[in-house]
Amino acid sequence: MVLAAGTGTDVVRAILQGTPPGAVYALVALGFVLTYKTSGVFNLAFGAQAFVSAAMFFQARVEWGWSTVPALVLAVFVLAPLTGLLMERLIFRHLRTASAVSKLVVAIGLSVALPSLFETLTGFAGVAGRTPEGLVPDGATVFYDPLGVYPFSRDELVALGVAVVGMLGLGALFRFSSIGLAMRAVVESPRMTELAGIDADRVSSVAWMLSSFFAGMAGVLIAPRFNTLMAPDFFHLVVVAVAAAAIGRLVSLPRALIGGLGLGIFIALFRTFLPRWSADHPWLEPFQNNLTPSMPFVVLFGVLVLWPAIRRSPAAADPLSGVDPPPPSLVSATRSAVLTRAARVFGVCFLLLVGLTVWFRGDVVWVHLVTQATIMSLILLSVTVITGLAGQISLCQGTFAAIGALTVFQLADRWDVSVLAAALVGAVIAAVVGALLSIPVLRLGGIWLAIATLAFAFFFDAVMLKFSWVGGGDSALLQGHRVPRPVLGPWDLADDRRFLVLVVVVFALVSVFVIRIREGTTGLILRGLRGSEVAAESVGVSPARARMLAFAISAAIAGLGGGLLAIHQENVNYGNNFTPMAALFWVVLVVTLSARTVEGAAQAGAAFSLFNSVILRGDGIGWITRGHLPGFFPLSPKWRFVLFGLASIQFARHPEGLVEHGKRRATAGMDARLAARRERAEPGAASSTAQQDPPSPDPSKVAAVGKQP
Amino acid sequence: MSVLFEATGIQKAFSGIRALEDVSLKVEAGERVGLIGPNGAGKTTFFNCVLGVLRPDAGQVLLDGEDIGGLPVHRRARRGIGRTFQRIELFSDMSVREHLLLAERVRRGEGSLLRDLFGRGGPNADERRRCDEVLELLGLGDLADEPVEALSLGQGRLVEVGRALMTEPRLLLADEPSSGLDRGETDALATTLRQVQGERGFAILLVEHDVELVASFTERTYVLDFGHVIAEGSTAEVMSDELVRHAYFGDIGNIDSESRS
Repeated sequence: MVLAAGTGTDVVRAILQGTPPGAVYALVALGFVLTYKTSGVFNLAFGAQAFVSAAMFFQARVEWGWSTVPALVLAVFVLAPLTGLLMERLIFRHLRTASAVSKLVVAIGLSVALPSLFETLTGFAGVAGRTPEGLVPDGATVFYDPLGVYPFSRDELVALGVAVVGMLGLGALFRFSSIGLAMRAVVESPRMTELAGIDADRVSSVAWMLSSFFAGMAGVLIAPRFNTLMAPDFFHLVVVAVAAAAIGRLVSLPRALIGGLGLGIFIALFRTFLPRWSADHPWLEPFQNNLTPSMPFVVLFGVLVLWPAIRRSPAAADPLSGVDPPPPSLVSATRSAVLTRAARVFGVCFLLLVGLTVWFRGDVVWVHLVTQATIMSLILLSVTVITGLAGQISLCQGTFAAIGALTVFQLADRWDVSVLAAALVGAVIAAVVGALLSIPVLRLGGIWLAIATLAFAFFFDAVMLKFSWVGGGDSALLQGHRVPRPVLGPWDLADDRRFLVLVVVVFALVSVFVIRIREGTTGLILRGLRGSEVAAESVGVSPARARMLAFAISAAIAGLGGGLLAIHQENVNYGNNFTPMAALFWVVLVVTLSARTVEGAAQAGAAFSLFNSVILRGDGIGWITRGHLPGFFPLSPKWRFVLFGLASIQFARHPEGLVEHGKRRATAGMDARLAARRERAEPGAASSTAQQDPPSPDPSKVAAVGKQP
Repeated sequence: MSVLFEATGIQKAFSGIRALEDVSLKVEAGERVGLIGPNGAGKTTFFNCVLGVLRPDAGQVLLDGEDIGGLPVHRRARRGIGRTFQRIELFSDMSVREHLLLAERVRRGEGSLLRDLFGRGGPNADERRRCDEVLELLGLGDLADEPVEALSLGQGRLVEVGRALMTEPRLLLADEPSSGLDRGETDALATTLRQVQGERGFAILLVEHDVELVASFTERTYVLDFGHVIAEGSTAEVMSDELVRHAYFGDIGNIDSESRS
């Protein structure tokens, strides 16, 4: 084993090298803690805000040929605070009383929506090969070496300078201005501040503008590191910020600052002194090469899991959570039997109609899309299990699905295993990974669990995937036909229609399983845990075991779906299907529509796969108007992200999901109408039904009343 | 009677503050025991040490002579320690009966994922019958299908008792059942609890603030103050004890010096 030579000079060099990125991390962490403490929002859209400013700067500087100063003013001093202000005024101000998890979901939705919204509005597109401009010319190529130990690039010096100025400015603002004093008070205790008669709304607006300004600044500073301006790269910034802020336990600004600087220096030291295992063990090379860039994820995961104080921090146990109203029970459990039957008949008819239309009239594209939608629905059922049933937000469902898909690829490509068997193996492997992952993250609740799973997803994406025995090298990540379609007895499923039938059958089976789990022991225990963990423990429920089971089931479903997706597309297409960002969008879709029902997952799957072609490309309107499309079609496919991302705002108001909410309203209306009609037909009988309807009535009783002539 | 539960020499300190210094306590089978003490006496800390929420720094927790000190909370529950909560802890989004069904199902340990997948995870007739028995016993029969959000605090406490009963506890730890209830409600709860206890024969360790309730409900009482047991014995004796009266009504500083001497 060859160890890197460790001398004093190396340490100093590493510290110097780590300081400029550390300063930027500190800037981001400051902004992050600022919004978290003043408005209780765990702002995962921070990276999106940084991206928007960086892209605006690039657009003005390069596309429009502005000089640096006006471009900087537009991107960082105007657009960034404006974005922050709008986010606070239009969205988060109205969610102040929403639970921490619903705010998190809204922030995730925004992190999906903002970049797409910006790109559609300005026509911005990250072009490969056009490196983003820094603030100074030749930033990456001119070096200064004041101490004779480490040459700083111009960009690094600028980043360091700006970050220091930013921090000093914030410090001065806090020390000498009245709004700064108020903000400091709000950070310490929002409620005490309100009692002292300070307008928390104003403070919160200013805090959002400031933090958004910091995000924009950091975005512009960090942009020259990337080859192309892409939103996902900036999402890393959030992870870094959360890691730095978590080191400071999210409580204080100075600690976040130290956390950011420390993280930068730690990564540099790590890079310098990491033993060169790969010299002796070549198979470790991908690990060696990718561990350093993914350090923030590792640090974040480590901090969350190993630092017990985090678990006890306010977010983990929100003192007001007991005040939150409980989620209302499902409509299907409370509506009258007549409506249940009607809904079932209608549902079956609708599905039959769709099925027959696709089977007989659908062309290749349509069959493909519907297959895709069904598989996506299957994958999204995994969100139904972990979020809808167990009440945990997991942001690594894409990783579980990818594990299923990659298993199919590896087994089929290397050993010629039947792809269907391989898909089952993939589900099992995903379940094992899910169960193992659940062990360290179990004690974390709510937000922290979501963040830990996000860190895991990024870690898998950045490190594990690079191993050829996991990611299969480039071939699995790129296009091409490497996964064959299966032959099942007499049927060759290379035929798209037959494959669709298989997929529908699998989806139906898994749906039945999910419903049975919900109604069986497992569902009962998970509901109990969600209601009150301590109470469930007090009757002998092991939370660790129950959550592990939920994670395993959810991961297995995602893995199976991922495997089917790989078979359908005849390859893994990791970049298109399973990146952490894509998986974020899945969660947003499902919880926005309805996380607790199978229909919710089906509708989310359909929306994910069909929205683009049916609505945005105009096929749906075109079909109705027989080809006469209004001029503004086709719309950009990015609207899908914008619309569903923004729709997640609704989640905070209707945590049961839009579909479930709509269903409840429609059902209540229908029940009232039915009751009124019965009242007219036979007074007395109907009124008893109406009284029994709203809570959860005994269905048999209602049915008996309904049957009276 | 045999000793059912015994805690010996329990010590617990929180970063320098000694919450419990050498607390020992015994409960015999079927006995009603009180644990009282002013605020900050260490009642809750002791309670959490017994339940496994906290690990004591020293001392043993024995159930039926067996050391359960190393077991996690849910395992202690399965060994026969039931509890109710000071701040009521019910499962939101569940009916009253479902609370009991969950406890019953966990006690039986028969449910499994496989049974769920074959559609056999629902409650069976026997489970329902047992739940309904307990609900009748507690006078909650009419509320069985109500969501728990519709209940009053007193009814909620009874649901907690019912849920704990389904685990067939040998020792029920009741954590300040009177908190949030008025005199009448407290008395009603005490009456029901005593009736149920007489019928089922489990032991109760009542951790209380309300001296009146302890006086009327328990046979023996321990008094905790500043992490020490300052008095123990039959409830009537303890209530007339000079030291106890001081701890509750008198000069705290005085008591402190007395108890240390």
